[in-house]
Amino acid sequence: MYQYNADDTAFLVERVDQFEKQLNRHLAGDLDAAKFRSLRLRNGLYMELHAHMLRVAIPYGILNTEQLRALADVADKYDRGFGHFTTRQNIQYNWIELPEIANLLRDLSAVGLHAIQTSGKAMRNITADPFSGLTKDEVEDARPYCELIRRWFNIHPEFSWLPGKFKIAINGAKLDETALQIHDLGLNIVYNEANELGFAVYVGGGLGAAPMVAPEITPFVAAEDIISYLESVLRVYNLKGRRDNLKRLRIKFMVREHGAVEFGRMVDEDWQQTKNNPELKLNMDELAKLKKDFALPIEPVDLAGFTDTVDFNYSIWKKNNVRAHKLSGYSIVNISLTQLGTAPGDATSEQMRMLADLADKYSNSELRTTKRQNLVFPYVRQNQVFELWQELAKNSLASPHQGTLAHVVACPGGDYCDLAKAVSIPIAQQVQQRFDDMDKLYDIGPININISGCENSCAHHHISDIGLLGLKKNEQEFYQITLAGETLHETAIGRKLGRSIAGAEVVDAIEDIVNIYLDSREEGENFVDVFKRIGITPFKEKVYG
Amino acid sequence: MVDDNEVITVVSEQGQTVELVSVEEWIENIDSLAASGKGVLIKPVDDVTLLKDSLNKIALIALDFVGFDDGRGYSQAALIRNRWGYSGEIRGINTHLDQLQFMLRSGVSTYDLQEQYQGSNEHDYTHGFSICYQAAANNADMKEKF
Repeated sequence: MYQYNADDTAFLVERVDQFEKQLNRHLAGDLDAAKFRSLRLRNGLYMELHAHMLRVAIPYGILNTEQLRALADVADKYDRGFGHFTTRQNIQYNWIELPEIANLLRDLSAVGLHAIQTSGKAMRNITADPFSGLTKDEVEDARPYCELIRRWFNIHPEFSWLPGKFKIAINGAKLDETALQIHDLGLNIVYNEANELGFAVYVGGGLGAAPMVAPEITPFVAAEDIISYLESVLRVYNLKGRRDNLKRLRIKFMVREHGAVEFGRMVDEDWQQTKNNPELKLNMDELAKLKKDFALPIEPVDLAGFTDTVDFNYSIWKKNNVRAHKLSGYSIVNISLTQLGTAPGDATSEQMRMLADLADKYSNSELRTTKRQNLVFPYVRQNQVFELWQELAKNSLASPHQGTLAHVVACPGGDYCDLAKAVSIPIAQQVQQRFDDMDKLYDIGPININISGCENSCAHHHISDIGLLGLKKNEQEFYQITLAGETLHETAIGRKLGRSIAGAEVVDAIEDIVNIYLDSREEGENFVDVFKRIGITPFKEKVYG
Repeated sequence: MVDDNEVITVVSEQGQTVELVSVEEWIENIDSLAASGKGVLIKPVDDVTLLKDSLNKIALIALDFVGFDDGRGYSQAALIRNRWGYSGEIRGINTHLDQLQFMLRSGVSTYDLQEQYQGSNEHDYTHGFSICYQAAANNADMKEKF
């Protein structure tokens, strides 16, 4: 597995040292408040309702077990014994004391983890496919490119004070697990007609109050030119993006105002002057080295004659949580952190350590995180899946509801977050309680429900089968429902069902929606298929009728 | 920087007092302003491509970093220094301690801080990082890794 070298670790320490000085100046009253805000956000630190929240990056979603144990230690030493795995492959701690932050970050830097640019108006942690390098249908393993681009945007001297936040996704698979087109910038790995590898570039996606699907601004940039191309996108945005209207800071507004064609032309005009600059070419030697570092750490195994255990609960769990691996003899195992009665994405330090032990034993000491707030074991031998399931079940982590309606994705919501207009987690729990019959859940099949506590859309409600957005009306919590958003095959923003619904009635509305789906469904149709065929009206009539 | 009867001046690195004019003034009277040794004061909203063809006639360029979160100056500096090869002094004005290394790497050569902070060492912020991951106008004293 790829690990940072001494330079990379030294860089992380330099960053902590500098942030510690800034924190000390703030605590001594010797740093302007607005400047401190800007600086602390770039280090992942939010001042929240009850305490301070720190967002730690899990670059492109990959963790080794040493790192997971370090995250568990941080949870115990500096927080209240748990962390929240987010929809963007980060982990958040909600109860951090200011004077302890530098020590916390130093502990993390020792294992190659950091909070650099996890917030603020800067380039953010890259979203990547959690199954990178594992599946047969992949165009190319995105991770070496993710790492080179991650390095490039660390404290970039020119692009660290952008008009707005800037989120990047990189996808190398045929099915898009990254939700590429809802990012400010999405890179899709493609081969051109000459069979050269490069990227199709999408710019200007985003959720929030004005959701937008990013248009393609160029169908192909050769891999070696990607850094210069990215610099041109960022330069055009940095110089000409809107800074005058706080609600129009993201690049999506600039792309919308100019149009994708004109925006692409502006980028190209800049790029023509830099694309041949040798300093901006992707370092192909480093790329080759990274490809070796990210190569599969396992050899195929011959399991001829192996038959898996038949057990009712195991089989149900396996159907939804185990995926095919490209290497014979192996499986990919999803572990749902969303348990009935607990907050989606939350893991206790004990769970983290237990999962680290299991990953050491069953998954070559590596884990991945996903936008559905799961952990993935990427290298499990097929003849050990049952054993792993037993261990998970013993620790209440073999929930079979992953991939069903009861696996709700939710942000931390009003219980933890200053920005939230509504609670997300209690609603998620009510949904789980309403649909707790496994037979019914299997009949319903894979419907996604995502609940965001405010328009910042941290739970990605716009791209879910059933999306809920928390609102406040006369101090009461309401939820706006959107239907049939998707990203896997194509990207579409969910349609608004109608007027928002009071918190006490929202689970009834979800049940109505599910019932319309069940009554209308034809053989092999998923939720989006049904919605496209019958339209929004039957859902409206049932919910508001 | 001195603001005297609406004439803005800076004292250059060589100790000369240089009068600054706006980008609009400069492009209207390039030859006479160049002949009298004027510098140009660039604001964040200014389009620096207007200066491209007359850059080497400018005695000194001042870039205004007045807004902490307004990052346009970094791209302006990079274009002027790195892409167009301006070799004269680029002065950052209204600059901020915490951004000095970003600014110097982008091509600014001298600076006036907007405010001083007690108990802070400028060197921590001009040289806080010894490793860099990207090409820039000025990576002096840094180990490059890209």
